[in-house]
Amino acid sequence: MDEMLLDVQELTHCFRLGRNRVLRAVDGVSFQMRKGEIFGLVGESGSGKSTTAKCVMNILRPTGGKIRYLGVNICDPKQFRAHRELLQTSRQMIFQDSTSSLNPRMTVAEIISEPMSIHHIRPPRGSLRAEAAFQLKCVGMDPGYLDKRPPELSGGQRQRVAIARALSMGPELLVADEPIASLDVSIQAQIINLFKHLQREHGFTFLFIAHDLAVVRYLCDRVGVMFQGKLVELAPAAELFARPLHPYTQALLSAIPIPDPRRERARVIQRFDPAGFSREGVWTEASPGHLVLRKEKDT
Amino acid sequence: MSELLEVKNLSVSFRTPQGEVEAVRDVSFSLHPGEVLAIVGESGCGKSVLCKSIMKLLPRSAWIKGGTILADGADITQYRQRDMERLRGRLFSMVFQDPLTALNPTMTIGAQIAEAVRVHQPRTEKAVVRRRVLELMDLVGISGGEDRCGRYPHDFSGGMRQRAVMAVALASSPKILFADEPTTALDVTVQAQILDLLREIQSRLGTATVLVTHDLGVVARAADRVAVMYAGKIVETGTAEDIFYDPRHPYTWGLLRSLPAWARDGEPLYTIPGMPPTLIHPPRGDAFACRNEYALAIDYQEAPPMFQISDSHFAATWLLDERAPKVRPPMGGEGRG
Amino acid sequence: MRQKSPFLYCGKKLLSFLLSVFLLSVAVFYAARLAPGDPLVSYYGDRAEKMTSQERAWAEARLGLDQPIYVQYARWLENAARGDFGISYKYKMDVAEVIAARLPNTLILGGISFVLIFTGALVLGALCVWNEGKWLDRFICKVGTVVSCIPEFWLSLVLILVFAVLLRWLPSSGAYTIGGGGVADRAAHLALPLAVAVAGHLWYYAYMIRNKLLEEVRADYVLLAKSKGLGSRAVLLRHCLRGVMPTYLSLMAISVPHILGGTYIIETVFSYPGIGTLSYESARYQDYNLLMLLCLLSGGLVIFCNILAQMINERIDPRMRSEEPPEVSDRE
Repeated sequence: MDEMLLDVQELTHCFRLGRNRVLRAVDGVSFQMRKGEIFGLVGESGSGKSTTAKCVMNILRPTGGKIRYLGVNICDPKQFRAHRELLQTSRQMIFQDSTSSLNPRMTVAEIISEPMSIHHIRPPRGSLRAEAAFQLKCVGMDPGYLDKRPPELSGGQRQRVAIARALSMGPELLVADEPIASLDVSIQAQIINLFKHLQREHGFTFLFIAHDLAVVRYLCDRVGVMFQGKLVELAPAAELFARPLHPYTQALLSAIPIPDPRRERARVIQRFDPAGFSREGVWTEASPGHLVLRKEKDT
Repeated sequence: MSELLEVKNLSVSFRTPQGEVEAVRDVSFSLHPGEVLAIVGESGCGKSVLCKSIMKLLPRSAWIKGGTILADGADITQYRQRDMERLRGRLFSMVFQDPLTALNPTMTIGAQIAEAVRVHQPRTEKAVVRRRVLELMDLVGISGGEDRCGRYPHDFSGGMRQRAVMAVALASSPKILFADEPTTALDVTVQAQILDLLREIQSRLGTATVLVTHDLGVVARAADRVAVMYAGKIVETGTAEDIFYDPRHPYTWGLLRSLPAWARDGEPLYTIPGMPPTLIHPPRGDAFACRNEYALAIDYQEAPPMFQISDSHFAATWLLDERAPKVRPPMGGEGRG
Repeated sequence: MRQKSPFLYCGKKLLSFLLSVFLLSVAVFYAARLAPGDPLVSYYGDRAEKMTSQERAWAEARLGLDQPIYVQYARWLENAARGDFGISYKYKMDVAEVIAARLPNTLILGGISFVLIFTGALVLGALCVWNEGKWLDRFICKVGTVVSCIPEFWLSLVLILVFAVLLRWLPSSGAYTIGGGGVADRAAHLALPLAVAVAGHLWYYAYMIRNKLLEEVRADYVLLAKSKGLGSRAVLLRHCLRGVMPTYLSLMAISVPHILGGTYIIETVFSYPGIGTLSYESARYQDYNLLMLLCLLSGGLVIFCNILAQMINERIDPRMRSEEPPEVSDRE
């Protein structure tokens, strides 16, 4: 039932900033993802959540740690080569800015079917075009858009095309890096519903990276909170929002705006002082499934 | 109360290769001294164009098609750039979405603020300018100004850059501040700080603020009055309480209902069907009609006028006409969430 | 920008410069000797053709041309390291002296045209942007397109025909009147070559600056500068030009070889006694030593300017520093 899809162990990624200066963008991050869940990774810009996603997708090569995907250690070049086909088809990524991630000179049909033609996959529905039409219907768009090009589409439609392209390979894992951040409120809701639908009806697994906590609370099953490259708290979404334990998580949750003038104005925002943040801490399980990074003396 | 800014029936269009884009259509609103007016809407609804057209910061392809702009008692509709230069900074000023691109990357923060100080008083002594720069940096919450005015924008974090932009905008003590999505590019934890700073400045200096945003959380925190824009028109205006607790326009209902904050577990989020219309040939009648589940036949024929609900609350929907069927609003009332 | 060790950085650049010049010297040395022709003709004139094979062998031995090329090169390198670049076969003088006599002429022509081109380009670029889309902008762009399509040698000939032959206002060739040589005389001789050099290059750079400046004018910070009450002219001159400067500087560095190359052609057409005509002659008459030093000089200048442009770009590229976390953060 709870089959493990992704196992990230002590993942570390450092960027070199010139001589003798190293930025630890991701620092000893460990988490597991089960099949069919939506795992949210939240944090402010520069907290390392995108870098983690890129390591999971083999876009960046981790400095340290292990990532196992379906039991394959994807950081090991030998194992990667041995399972290249599996790794490249069953993990797909959706980017924040679909304006720049989709080639403006290709038609929607070409964009969606390109991964299939690259991997020489025989389209199960007869032709590549039929396959593209099917995927487009899956994400709630009319096949009439097949011959349009990205500049003719709205932001929400482009993001749907990007999702359809990712789905065309029949992936297990979808990594979505801030997929709704550049969309309008009413379009955001459409895409969020689509994600939820894809998970429920088709059993896709999502690694969902976001900074909008209201969306994360609604969409995700489990949430990890990152701060300065460290994973500071990891819990089921309901549990995390009800009982945040790490002071940074508390500050972050207190900053979620409430669309209600009286309550919003009364809201007190907790400040989190990074000077008091200790990178050295112990992962402790506060309650089943709820892990938090604690200073040694607190435990 | 005398109005600081009064916009009457303003229409602004753009020339594009595809044709004329009617970005702002027949918009009227007013701004009282010392209040925060939020203009809310989705991208492309004309909210940003509206502000820039008042300050005449639009590119050459845009022109004011009709209407009048009264600022501080004077009709500035026909003002040329030269006349506007005298007003900008002193009467009104602007804060932009992305503080990194809004600051000149090749000039120090101090130099950019100093330039703004000197614009309207070119003969100010160096020491006086410097004192004013430090005072402004202190006002917007950049501590240690002495040291930091010699830094370049890339040395600052997002929130600090936005504070610097505000210092530049406030340098000549403007009466009106236009803030165009001032928190969109910032982290959640910083957003509220910047909004609180906006409010603090407004209460300390009495600056009236026009806050353009798509985020209803921002509106809830900072706005006194709200104007909701759709497809180049203002569809509803009222106090923040009016809009959040007693919304009347179906588009406002849709915006509020689609927020994940109000979603119940297990239920899909509410979505407004369809997409906003293009403004090249905007539809006849109500532009929202084809996405509106409460649309009446007349919505497709004739654009609704502004109906008055209370002293402060107006909405442009035929649902408020006395002949219209009574609809129970899906939103509104207190004690939600 | 914090460069950890400026000495190491400069050392690296210097090393790459020396290596490039060395490779260039090898290439030129071999290529010159592989080219068909008889170097003895340039040394002995017509006499070389009537020489017996014995005399030829003796002459070649005297000039060191009988040895394998790599030995010749080694000897040349050894002498060059001591500052001795050999004698010119044609002028029977030390090549350094031959060049020293001509160099000022080229420096004057190249230097003045360089200054004119870049001031002109900046002014024209700014004018175009100031009048963007209006008739002046369109006029400058159109004229530029047309003029930069005209080949330099053809333009030179037309100018000579009009100003020197028909109108007789300006001299058609040379750098100064023999015997004379006041400033006015020099200026009159410079006028036509300068006009051709500037007309040939000005538009291209003006166009580059115009485009870069238009990008700057559309940047967000222009809106902020305007909204604080700054006039359009102040925004253009104080803010936007500043943003163009890095591009402008690196453009200047890269353009040196282009303008130099153009000057060589112009010198030849106007028989202007500079490095250009000298290079042409030395190549034509197999004057190996002279050719070698000329190639090293101009090649060295080109390599130096390219490295300079590269250094300017590295210093000003904001991406070099954007990776670092901001120092002034939100939490106080």
